[in-house]
Amino acid sequence: MAGSKYVNSDNLLVLENLSLGYNKTIYSNINANACAAQTIAVVGANGTGKSTLLRSLCGILPYRSGKIELYGKEIKKYKASQLAQVVSFVPSQSPRAKNFSLFDMLATSCYSRTNWIGKIDRQDSVKIEETLVKVGLEGFGKRDISTLSDGEFQRAAIARSLVQDSHIILLDEPTAFLDIANKITITKLLANIAANEKKTIVFSTHDLQLAIKLCDKIWIMGYNGFIQDTPDRLIEKGAFDKIFKDSLLKFDPNLFTFV
Amino acid sequence: MKAKGKYFTIYSLIIISLSIFITLNLLLGSVLFPVKDIIAAIFGGEAPEYVSNILFSHRIPKAITALLAGAALSVCGLQMQTLFRNPLADPYILGISSGAGLGVAIFVMGFSAFGITLSSSIAANVGIVVAAWLGAFGVTLLILMVSSRLKESISLLIFGIMIASVTGAIISLIQYFSSSAQLKVFVVWTMGSFSGLSPTNIWIMFIVILTGFAMTVFNIKDLNALLLGEAYAKSLGVNLERTRRSILVATTLLAGSVTAFCGPIGFIGIAVPHIARMLFRNADHKVLVPATAILGATIMIIADTISQMPGQPEVLPINTVSALLGVPVILYIIMKSKIT
Repeated sequence: MAGSKYVNSDNLLVLENLSLGYNKTIYSNINANACAAQTIAVVGANGTGKSTLLRSLCGILPYRSGKIELYGKEIKKYKASQLAQVVSFVPSQSPRAKNFSLFDMLATSCYSRTNWIGKIDRQDSVKIEETLVKVGLEGFGKRDISTLSDGEFQRAAIARSLVQDSHIILLDEPTAFLDIANKITITKLLANIAANEKKTIVFSTHDLQLAIKLCDKIWIMGYNGFIQDTPDRLIEKGAFDKIFKDSLLKFDPNLFTFV
Repeated sequence: MKAKGKYFTIYSLIIISLSIFITLNLLLGSVLFPVKDIIAAIFGGEAPEYVSNILFSHRIPKAITALLAGAALSVCGLQMQTLFRNPLADPYILGISSGAGLGVAIFVMGFSAFGITLSSSIAANVGIVVAAWLGAFGVTLLILMVSSRLKESISLLIFGIMIASVTGAIISLIQYFSSSAQLKVFVVWTMGSFSGLSPTNIWIMFIVILTGFAMTVFNIKDLNALLLGEAYAKSLGVNLERTRRSILVATTLLAGSVTAFCGPIGFIGIAVPHIARMLFRNADHKVLVPATAILGATIMIIADTISQMPGQPEVLPINTVSALLGVPVILYIIMKSKIT
């Protein structure tokens, strides 16, 4: 792998004075970092720019100013195919093509390493089958992706990132459109991936309880500033009160929720 | 998604019907040829002179043109449908043919005032082709610029209709100031026809379309990545700007040259990719691109056979026939899928 010698690197991903936005600034002064094999949640009110942050981190959106560095190199300097090996993105919802098999969908994840027509080799073919087992979709390879349930499709979307085999996986509200059973399945899957695959996972969520329980670190996009820390210390500092502008909402440190 | 063996059956059926319709296309026309004369003429046997004359100077070039045009327009429609994630995208609906029309109108009726005579001189022929290409390219460029703002299918279609209205208005304005001879050249062009192309024209069209196909084949990998949305494609490492450019150039080469040589031909570009999807049940472009090309050629040769009205001296404009064949398919798609 391109960067395996950095696996213990403390600064896999560094954000320095980052301002998000294209024509106008959406959110500014983000200073944060992510280490190898960490699980990080991004929390914040609707419309603060969680999606924009994640999309900027993987080069889908340009950012206004500041720095995003992966392995000490600014992402603007990465070639598209190199970037794809370091970071992958799971959108909260993707268009689903009809008559496209799950296997073929996962085969597109090998984009940066396949030949000109996109034919995958034996090794990737095995990898896809293994990944299907990992995400609990064993035997689904020939299924038409438009017939998958929302929960199954979200697992398939996570499988794409695993097949892409990037060091960092970014997920935009992975459980937003799911019922409670699927929410738990996806959460368990993410925890599993973080533990066993040594991937750095950054996901946006509104579920604070989940974030506190699951994550090594939380990035709070508060209404008056960005804060990053471990869940315990954030609770101690009372930082969660700064997520919402509404001062009537108080975070209960025992229940892990707003009251 | 079907097994490889099943494709073989579908391909064989398509190729058999393709050969049947090519034969019919050569046999039928204002003069009906006996089969044995055609075989004799093609394989160098004894055939009446009028048969080989009509066959080689008229019917065979026309059939080749129709095959090329059908394949090119369909493959063009397929790429636009994937790029814009819009089941109703095609060069005609999105106004690219109108753009080509405007180019031709400006050339035929506008620039001819500056001394180029249009009596089938080579300059006039090349001029029409280049003008159509430029017009098509201009509109494609415009669509590409606005397509990121027009996310919904309907908005993009309305944009195409508006382009068609604007170019239509400008064309009528030009028509108002042009001579009747120039007007006739233009109106005949808009009706669409596969006949009257010189061997040189056909060669030019063949080479340009072949270039377009070659580019399309190199687009296959990116087209597959685009099936799951642009955000995801970009995170896979697809260079979106380059991909868009490459698809844009391929579609302009394909649609632009067909429109330039044969006039604006509608509805084939939308309908054929959908027929291919229905038959092959696979969204993978490695399957769809060849399937669409060969189906497009087949359907266009059927349209052309109908348009020459066997046994009658009259010929229908190809655009009329393509609309009659294509519109029902498009209506079916609209009824069946929830297009937003």
